[in-house]
Amino acid sequence: MAWWLVWLLLGAGQSLLFYYGFDRNPALSITDGMVSMVLFSALALAAWFPLKFLNRNDTRFPLLIINLLAISAVVLLVWMGLVYLILSGIFPDTGNYGAFWRGTISLRLGTGVLLSILVFLTYYLIISYKNLSDRRLGESKLENILRETELKMLRTQINPHFLFNSLNSVSALTITDPDKAREMVIKLSEFMRYALARKDEQPVTLRQELENMKLYIDIEKTRFGERLITNETLSRECLELKIPNLLLQPLYENAIKYGVHESTGTVEIATTVYCDSQSVEITISNNFDHDAVMPSGTGTGLSNVRRRLDLVYGREASMITRKEKGRFTITMRLPVNTLQ
Amino acid sequence: MEPLKILIIDDEAPARDILSHYLKNEEGFTLAGECSDGFAGLKAIREIKPDILLLDIQMPRLTGFEMLEVMDENPVIIFTTAYDQYALKAFELNAADYLLKPFTAERLSAALQKARLKCEAGRQDGGTPSAVIEKRPAGAPSLTRVVVRKGTAINIIPVDEIRYIEAQDDYVMVYYRGGKALKQQRMKFYEESLPDGKFARIHRSHIVSIGEIARLEPYGKENYVAVLKGGERLPVSRAGYRYLREELSF
Repeated sequence: MAWWLVWLLLGAGQSLLFYYGFDRNPALSITDGMVSMVLFSALALAAWFPLKFLNRNDTRFPLLIINLLAISAVVLLVWMGLVYLILSGIFPDTGNYGAFWRGTISLRLGTGVLLSILVFLTYYLIISYKNLSDRRLGESKLENILRETELKMLRTQINPHFLFNSLNSVSALTITDPDKAREMVIKLSEFMRYALARKDEQPVTLRQELENMKLYIDIEKTRFGERLITNETLSRECLELKIPNLLLQPLYENAIKYGVHESTGTVEIATTVYCDSQSVEITISNNFDHDAVMPSGTGTGLSNVRRRLDLVYGREASMITRKEKGRFTITMRLPVNTLQ
Repeated sequence: MEPLKILIIDDEAPARDILSHYLKNEEGFTLAGECSDGFAGLKAIREIKPDILLLDIQMPRLTGFEMLEVMDENPVIIFTTAYDQYALKAFELNAADYLLKPFTAERLSAALQKARLKCEAGRQDGGTPSAVIEKRPAGAPSLTRVVVRKGTAINIIPVDEIRYIEAQDDYVMVYYRGGKALKQQRMKFYEESLPDGKFARIHRSHIVSIGEIARLEPYGKENYVAVLKGGERLPVSRAGYRYLREELSF
């Protein structure tokens, strides 16, 4: 709409120029002006398509200029030819239209070149704006995909050794204590279902997460017997808050790896959960063998949890680890509202 | 023929239970003892002198591999573990077999037959050499500790406490804060396994903890000696000097 209005105004301008500058024949001037501009407008619209096509791939600059010049030349030629044909068709009897035409040819050419430049500049503006927003859209899409992929990768991979050691315990229990063996198979199944089934990043309630972590620890208790004890202090009102699933698993795995696996004595894993209106604080701690020189881990467990917190909560979540007096403590603070 | 004595070393009670259960049905073997960690294992090995060890790898304080490094006795080893990535190392150590948990009674039976053959061969040729791993497995994490023996005591030395290591024929002398100990190991192994950037092989015969170097002094023409914080003077080769220059950027 605005497009045609602009051209109408341009047509009026051109008519006035013709009228005052050359032939004081209003009918001829107005018709010529309007026909010229309507035609130019149509041709300019038609030129959009080759231009858009040419601009699809980032063409090199010199080639672009040549293309532009070619398109402009074609547009100008066709435009002027058509105007002449139509106008001499409308005013066949005035005979001297040819003279009028020759007189105004330089003006026409000038207007044509000027308009071409304007039109192409406008087009380029539109195209580059579109490209930019397309790219932005693509980038943000890509960013989302990356984020999701990373979250998927960071989601805890259950350590296969845990599985095989547990199955070995089951195999032993079938002989020494079949009831306990059955119990362990059931716990293992429930835990594996929780760990494997949730393929996508689904938040769970803290209660669900802690229940499943209890399964995990119970299984480890079967392996290590009296050497592993647990202690929980949980505020009831926090348990319905949502957290990313399996977020706590690496923390318990860490406690068992550096506590129980490296100690010959008893290891206590303590869990406390507190919350206020803004945040929930989860603390998991274990004592460890002071004399043990720890084997080097790959260090990925906890840093993966950190990265996951970053991706899910941004800067609103924190995780602090502390090692003092033979006790290793991880304190995690999460905002309450993000995952409701 | 006398039955072969077997010692089980595993930190998980159920894992020991299943082994002792399987062993009840094995003819020609007798279960001589069970231990739940490496230190108790070493003591039991000295006392019982088992023919065959059923040995877990991941255990508190001392891993199965570290036990072998400090052991005088030379029983035939069958590793039992849930970790498959140590198999290559296990066979480099001349283990009779490598059982991945959980395993069947038949699988253990087959391993015991192999161990029996090894025992018989061992009695004739006087035993196989003790555990030396010459090459560090590719991609293995760098060492965090070294296990040494002083008399009957086993010491676990964190690598941070190692001052320097000296080549002595087929052995190395490890100097650490609080003493020194001989280990049957190659310089090459330590050169590759100690954490990068903390240790430098300054000479064919010495690997030194970079933090222990007090200064470098010129020695003769174009030669240097490293003076350690403890006062020791160690020769520095040209390659060693170049490496230190690069590492310490002077």
